[in-house]
Amino acid sequence: MKTLRRLFRRLTSWSASARDEERLRAEFDEHIVMQTAENLRAGLSPIEARRQALLKFGNVEAIKETYRDARGLPFLETLVRDTRHAIRGLRRTPAFTVAVTLTLALGIGINTATFSIVNAVLIRPLPFDQPGRLVALTQRVSGFAEKAPFSPPDFIDVQREQQSFDGIAAYVQRPAELSGSGAPVRLDVSKVSWNLFDVLGVRPMLGRPFTEPEDRPGVDVAVLSYDLWERRFGADRSIVGRTITLDRRPYTVVGVMPPGFSFPLRGSGFNARPAAAWVPMAFTAEQLRARGNEHSHGVIGRLKTGTSIEEARVELEILAGRVNERYPLELRNRNFSTSFVAMPLREETSGPLQRPLLLLLGAVALVLLVTCANVANLVLSRAAARRRELALRATLGSSRARLLQLLLAEGAILSIAGGAIGILLSQALVAAVPAAVTSTLPTAPEISVDVRVLAFTGAISILTSILFAVIPQLGLGRRGPGSTLQEEASRTTPGLRRHRMQSGLVVSTVTFAFVLLMGAGLFLRSFSALMATDGGFNPDRVLTASVTLPREGYPMASTVRAFHESLFRRASSLAGVRSAALVTDLPLERYERRTVTGENSVATSGPPPSTNLSWVYGPFVPTLGIRLIAGRTFTDVEDLQSQTVVIVNQRLAQRFWPGQDVLGKRLKWGADVPQNQNSWLTIVGVVADVADDGLGSEPYLHAYEPFSQFPDFVLDNVSGAFGRHVKLAVRTTDDPRALVASVRAEITGIDRQLALQSVETMEDRLGASVAPRRFSVVTLGAFAVGALLLAAIGLYGLLAFSVAERRREIALRVALGAERPAILRMVVGHGLKLVALGLTVGALASLGVTRVLTSLLYQTDTHDVVTFAVVPVVLVLISLVACALPAMRALQVEPMTALRSE
Amino acid sequence: MKDTDVRQGTLALMVLKTLDVLGPIHGYAIARRIEQISGDLLTVNQGTLYPVLLKLEQEGSVASEWGASENNRRARFYRLTRKGRKQLQAEARSWEQTAAIIERFFAAKAEDLQ
Repeated sequence: MKTLRRLFRRLTSWSASARDEERLRAEFDEHIVMQTAENLRAGLSPIEARRQALLKFGNVEAIKETYRDARGLPFLETLVRDTRHAIRGLRRTPAFTVAVTLTLALGIGINTATFSIVNAVLIRPLPFDQPGRLVALTQRVSGFAEKAPFSPPDFIDVQREQQSFDGIAAYVQRPAELSGSGAPVRLDVSKVSWNLFDVLGVRPMLGRPFTEPEDRPGVDVAVLSYDLWERRFGADRSIVGRTITLDRRPYTVVGVMPPGFSFPLRGSGFNARPAAAWVPMAFTAEQLRARGNEHSHGVIGRLKTGTSIEEARVELEILAGRVNERYPLELRNRNFSTSFVAMPLREETSGPLQRPLLLLLGAVALVLLVTCANVANLVLSRAAARRRELALRATLGSSRARLLQLLLAEGAILSIAGGAIGILLSQALVAAVPAAVTSTLPTAPEISVDVRVLAFTGAISILTSILFAVIPQLGLGRRGPGSTLQEEASRTTPGLRRHRMQSGLVVSTVTFAFVLLMGAGLFLRSFSALMATDGGFNPDRVLTASVTLPREGYPMASTVRAFHESLFRRASSLAGVRSAALVTDLPLERYERRTVTGENSVATSGPPPSTNLSWVYGPFVPTLGIRLIAGRTFTDVEDLQSQTVVIVNQRLAQRFWPGQDVLGKRLKWGADVPQNQNSWLTIVGVVADVADDGLGSEPYLHAYEPFSQFPDFVLDNVSGAFGRHVKLAVRTTDDPRALVASVRAEITGIDRQLALQSVETMEDRLGASVAPRRFSVVTLGAFAVGALLLAAIGLYGLLAFSVAERRREIALRVALGAERPAILRMVVGHGLKLVALGLTVGALASLGVTRVLTSLLYQTDTHDVVTFAVVPVVLVLISLVACALPAMRALQVEPMTALRSE
Repeated sequence: MKDTDVRQGTLALMVLKTLDVLGPIHGYAIARRIEQISGDLLTVNQGTLYPVLLKLEQEGSVASEWGASENNRRARFYRLTRKGRKQLQAEARSWEQTAAIIERFFAAKAEDLQ
C-alpha cells in the first residue's frame, strides 16, 4: 500500500516537475544572493564574495539531478527527456537523419522482401506431414540423359515389393473440363493412387480420402481442393456425396481437402501444376501390361521411420534388377535397362531454383553488409562530431550511463523510423513480385513478409546503428573528459584512427556496390541478348487459344476431325484474320517426344535421338511465322495421297544427313530395330529451328506431321487426352487483342459446353515465358541501385562530416591564401580517392564473384567488356554528385567566422 | 551511495529539528543554522539542502510559502506541519533508541556478557 502511494505521488510529482524546478532555481538564486551579502559583510571583495558563495553552494546541475532522481520516475522521465532531446538533435542535422533513416529503410526493406521469397521456396516446410521423410522417385532409362517419370508396370512392381516406405503413390496430371453449375472451365485434375493422401499425411477436411477398391477403372469419384470447393461450389458442406461433371461424366465427390493443401507441387516440369481436384489413378489392364510405355507418372513415397534414404536407394537398386528381368526379351537383348532414383522431395522440387535463389540471397547479404557499413559510418561520423559536446556534458556532471542513454535514445529513434519505412517497403516489394514468377515456385504461390525474417534484418541493422554510436563513447569516460576537450579544442583535423575506420567503411560500401552493379549489369546484358534472339517464329500479331476435346463429347476420331475442320474454317474466315492453323503444341510448350530413326542416315553413336513431334492442321508455317528453308508446306490434299509426309527442322536434317539435301529422304518413329513396324515418312520440307523450350534454349530436333496422319485408333480407343488438345493460332492484320471476343464466340459457337482455356497473344505467352528471368534482372537491378544509393549516401555522409569537422583547417588554409579550386580539389579528391580504392577492390572481387553467374547468363561473358566499362563510370558519376554538396559547403567557409567560432 | 543516503536522512532530521526550534525560516537561514551547529558537515554543498526541503514538503512534513527576508528580499519560508512534528518526535525517539543501543554496545566489555 505504501509503495503504491509512493508511486502515485511520484507520478503526480512528475507532472508538477516543471513548476518545482522553477521554484528550486528561484530559491538557489536567493540563497546565493544572501550568502554573497554575508561574505561581503565579512570583508571579501564583491567578485570573491560571489565566487565563495557559489563554491559553497555546490554544483547546481548535480543537485538538480539528485533531486530529480529522488523524486518522480527517473527512468521514464529521462527517457522522455532524452527522446525529446534526441529528436531536437536529429532535426538539427537533417542530412544525417535522412541518410540513416533511408539507409535503414532500404536495407531492411530489400532484405526482408528477398529473404521472405527465399524462405518461402527453400526453407519453409512443405505443406505435408513430416515432409522430410517424403521422397520423389523417378526412373532412369538406359540411353536417356534425363530422369523420366514412372511407367505404370514398373511403378506397380516397386509399390508391391518395396519395404523401405510406409507407402508409395503415383500421380499424373490429366486436365479435365468441369461443366454444370456455371460456365464450363478447364481444371488441373490429377489422377492419383488411392493412398496418395496417406503418403502425404494430410486428411480431407470434409468426407474421406479414396479407398483401395475405388482405385480401379469405372469408379468415378473425386476429392476437391478447398479452393475449387469454395470458388465453384460456394463452400457448400453438403457437397460430399453429390456428383460433379468432369469431362461430361458424373463423378461422386467423396472429400474436400483443407485450405493450404497443394499437390502436385508447382514447378516447371511435367506433373507440376497443383490440382483443383483429384481422381483415382485406376490403371487399366492394358496400361499395366505395357512395359516401357507411358513414362509419365510422378511417384512419391514416405520413408519408414528409421529408414534412411540411402537404405531405400540400396533396396531400389535390388528392385531395379528384378524389374529389368521382366522386360521383353527383344528390349533386354538391346541392352535396355532401367534404374530407380530417389531424391528428397524438397530437393527434387526446388532444385532448379536453388541456384538463382541462393544468388539472390548472396546479393541480399551484400546489400545488408552495405547497409550496416553505411549506418556504422554515418553514426560514427556523427558521434565523432559530437565528442566535444559529450565531453562537455561529462565535465558538467553527466554520468557515463546518462550519456550512453542519450545516444541510445537517438539510435532508437532512427531505428524505429527506418524500420517502419522498411516494413512498408518490404511489403510493397513482396506485393510487386509478379504472378508469373510465383507460379514457378513449388509451394503456395502467396508469399508474405515473414515476421521472423523482418525481426532478423531489423535487429542486425539496428544493432549496428546503436553499437557504432556507443562504442566510440566508451573510451571517453576512461580517458577523462578533460583530455578529450583539450584535444578537440586544439585539433584542426580529425584523428587518424577514426578516419581510417570510416574510410575503410566507405571503401567497402563502394566495393559491395560495384560487385552488385556488375552482377546486375551482366544480367541485364544477358536478358537483352535473350530478348534479341530469334525464337525461330514470329510472335507479332498472333492470337492463340487452346481447348481440349473430352472423350464424352468427342468419342471417335471422326468427331475430333470434324471439330478441327469446323474450327479451322470458322477461324480462317474471321474478318481481320490473315491465316489460321491448328497445332497440338504451340512454340514454348512441352511436346510429345519420341525416338526417331532416319533412313540411310549417318551412323550415330550414343543414345537414339529423340524428337519433338507436333501434328498440324492448316498453314502453320506462315501463321506462326516459322521460316521455310527448303521444300514446301503441307497441302490440303495430303491425306488423299498414299505417301505419308513430314516436315523437319534444320537441326534434325543436320543430325541425320549433315550437308545433304534431305528433301525426299525418309524417317520413322521408334528405334532402329527390326521389330519397328512403323511406316516411313517422306520429308517434304525443312523449316528453321524453333526455341521449343523457351527463348534462348538449345533447339531440339523437331518434326511436324499433318493431323490427317494422326492414327484414328488412338482417338477412337485410347483413354486420355493424347491428340485431343487443340491449339488455335491466328495471324491477324491488326492488333490481335481486338479478335479475342470473336475467337471465343467462334469456339462456343461450335460447342457451347467446351471449356475454353486461355485466349492470349503470342507476345503475352513469350513475355510470361521470360518472366522469371525478367524478375531476376529487375530484382538484382533494384539491389544494385539500392547499393549504389547507399554507397552514395555513405560517401556524402563521410565528406559532409569531414568538411564540417575541418572547417577550421579549411578556414586556416583560405586565410593563408589557398585558392578555391585547391579547396575543391581537396574535398573531391578525398572522396574520389576512396572511390578509386573501392573500384579497384570491387573489380578484383567481381572477377571472382561473377564466375558463379556463368551458368545463369545467356550469351554473355562474365568478363563482359561493356559491363566492366560502364559500371565504374556510373559509380564515379554518382560519387561526384555525392562529393559535390560537401564540396560546395567547404567553398562557402568564411575564414573569419569559422576561426572565431572555435 | 550508502554514505549519501545516511547523510540525506540525517539532513532531513536536522532540517525538521531546526524548524522545530526556530519556527518558520527561509532556506538560507536553515543552512546557516545547520552549518553553525554541525561544523563542516554542510560546508561543501549547501545546495543539497533544497532537494531535501522539497522532498519533505512533498511528504507533507513541512509547508512553505514566499515571504520577505530580513533585508527585504523575496525568500521562501518553511515551517513544520503537524505531521512533521509527529515525524520529528518519532524519529527523535528512534534516534535516541538507536544511539542508546549503539552506546551500550560500545561500552560493553567482554566480561559483561559472561
